Amino acid sequence: MLHANIKTGEEVIHMATPAEEELGESKWEVKVPEKKLKDKLFFENLKAVVIDTNLCSRCLTCVSICPSGLIVTDEDIVGFPDFEKNCFDCGACVRVCPRFIYEPPSGLGNYIEIVAAKSKRFKGQDGAMATELIASAIDMGMIDQGLFVDRNEKWETSIFHVRYPEQVGVGTLGGTKYVFAGILPALKEAIRFTKKGVGVVGTPCMISGIRKLQQEFPVFKEKVKLVVGLFCTENFHYNDLMKFLRDEKGIEIEKILKTNISKGSMYVTVAGAEKKRKIKMAEFEERGLVAKGCDFCTDFTAVQSDASVGSVGSEAGFSTIIVRNENAKEVMAFIREKGTAEFGEKVVMDEIDYLIKFKKKREEHIKELKLPE
Amino acid sequence: MKKVGTPEYNLQDKLKYHLSALSTAAKQVALPLNITTHYPRERRRWPDCFRGYILFDPERCISCFQCSFICPANAIWMKEAPSNRYYPTLDYGKCIFCHFCVDSCPGGALKPTKIHDVAYRTMEEMLTLTEEMVEPPEIIREDKVFVDYVIDTEDLSLKRTKGRDNLIVEIAPSQGVPMVSQCVDRASCIACKVCEKVCESGAVSSIKDEERLIVKMAIDAEKCTGCGLCVKECSMQILRLVRK
Ligand SMILES: Cc1cc2nc3c(=O)[nH]c(=O)nc-3n(C[C@H](O)[C@H](O)[C@H](O)COP(=O)(O)OP(=O)(O)OC[C@H]3O[C@@H](n4cnc5c(N)ncnc54)[C@H](O)[C@@H]3O)c2cc1C
Ligand code: SF4
Ligand code: SF4
Ligand code: SF4
Ligand code: SF4
Ligand code: SF4
Repeated sequence: MLHANIKTGEEVIHMATPAEEELGESKWEVKVPEKKLKDKLFFENLKAVVIDTNLCSRCLTCVSICPSGLIVTDEDIVGFPDFEKNCFDCGACVRVCPRFIYEPPSGLGNYIEIVAAKSKRFKGQDGAMATELIASAIDMGMIDQGLFVDRNEKWETSIFHVRYPEQVGVGTLGGTKYVFAGILPALKEAIRFTKKGVGVVGTPCMISGIRKLQQEFPVFKEKVKLVVGLFCTENFHYNDLMKFLRDEKGIEIEKILKTNISKGSMYVTVAGAEKKRKIKMAEFEERGLVAKGCDFCTDFTAVQSDASVGSVGSEAGFSTIIVRNENAKEVMAFIREKGTAEFGEKVVMDEIDYLIKFKKKREEHIKELKLPE
Repeated sequence: MKKVGTPEYNLQDKLKYHLSALSTAAKQVALPLNITTHYPRERRRWPDCFRGYILFDPERCISCFQCSFICPANAIWMKEAPSNRYYPTLDYGKCIFCHFCVDSCPGGALKPTKIHDVAYRTMEEMLTLTEEMVEPPEIIREDKVFVDYVIDTEDLSLKRTKGRDNLIVEIAPSQGVPMVSQCVDRASCIACKVCEKVCESGAVSSIKDEERLIVKMAIDAEKCTGCGLCVKECSMQILRLVRK
């Protein structure tokens, strides 16, 4: 039941229309992954190998696929209360977890072009090109839904399903929230209702999760059409970060307009204050505030994405975009044709290389890790 | 141009027409010929497809939620019974008597009646709980005659019959189009067995082959009633109902 995608020539699973299906008894086989801990439930395997070792990146791929719907992220940690009773032992979670069998991606990855650009219609963290890519993909009819990370006054994240480009220009949809977000569980919902396909923006760990989902399950391959990765060095747990900013730094969370990490410091723009608050990254590290899973992450540029967007490498107000495949190239061509973005002078590769190397060093942490046998 | 003049009657004609008019009036006084029924003393005999009060048979319900999903007025609320099963409750404050629920029920658990005259004192009372839907509601019946509308070639007339019409209709539950569940994207199945767990008819089976590390899934078309429960619950949304 394979046929080729008209555009890419890639083989995709064909969703048979009922009439094409032979009637009578319907039978099929499903592969079950191998357990590392033989006589334990699959969730216990995941817990022992990924969660208890702090390897977990909190990408929430497992949450998105678990049929019980009971994997949760209370207190910022991925867990499954009462899993002994409620885990179906299907193994879907370990099939999709990018860190159960971890092949850490790193480097600059494949690319067609690397450019600096700035959206003319949207405002964002840097050049709002992450937003522009998704909005343009909607405009050109490649996707009919884009998933964005929104936030409330308390900087708690939620996922917003964008259907019209006009929806993204307003409010808090653009901009970086340095806390984890439930993009993947929302993606599972989105593929149920999309006709043309879904576009997502996420951190490199989430991109790895999406690729795993696509590799394992054809529905994701068919319906997730544009995957935009963000450059990423680290992320924070919501409760820890807010407590620190509020209690130790005396910042009223509700008044924060923007957070930005650059050159080894976090800059917090607070409403009413003249100057940005500068907090050295070392302060976060000393207190162990950086999410533990990031310690084992070597992927700065989201090498598995269709296009990656980040701030380093281009001047202030511009985003750096790494266009990796034909899919993303098509969207960039559309942006150029419509003139919705302004292109920058050039990209300083040294800055990107520096952070790639910086993250590559974390391979040491992975080597030191003791995984259960 | 032709002019239409007043008809010319002679005395004999005039007398004849006057008498006829008087006799018609006298007849109507004695035996009025109207086309309204004297409800509640008499009741029109409605056809069996009349959309009235809805009864519920828990024996036939498979808790598929179909009725509550389809209700355009949001009048059906599924409530958990002590058996942990979910059954419909019906709010007559909202119901628009479209009977979509009756038609959608795969098990024929919702049954139409010809009852259209239930009175409530409060809005709260109109929320009819499952247990109250099993038996017909208490209504006061003053009717001793039922009325049929008879249409002959020219006229509509009423035919009155002594007795009481049975408001509970005895019709076989709707069979619907025979459907069967099928997996349309087998490679995306995670073998979570949710389908097997929810199937009331034992139509889904899963066998784990420990050696080959696979799970063999199967839907038995013979046993499948096409209720659609598995389609709704499948965690990967890869099951569909197709015509048998
Ligand atoms: C946790 C994190 C760490 C980062 N670290 C670096 C870094 O070290 N160096 C660097 O150059 N760039 C980093 N970035 C990327 C950078 O902050 C900008 O997101 C990027 O340059 C895109 O800017 P933009 O103006 O084009 O995006 P915009 O158009 O403003 O869009 C931002 C996009 O990011 C998404 N987003 C926001 N918060 C999150 C989140 N928590 N998780 C997933 N998606 C989110 C939004 O949905 C939106 O689509 C990081 C981003 C994140 C989320
Ligand atoms: S039910 Fe399946 S996916 Fe969920 S935790 Fe258990 S094995 Fe993992
Ligand atoms: S790394 Fe992602 S998929 Fe794996 S356990 Fe953590 S949240 Fe789940
Ligand atoms: S550093 Fe890696 S693990 Fe941490 S948020 Fe970024 S991509 Fe995810
Ligand atoms: S549709 Fe068929 S297989 Fe699915 S739950 Fe109903 S009877 Fe079982
Ligand atoms: S519920 Fe869906 S995914 Fe789960 S075993 Fe059944 S068909 Fe497969």
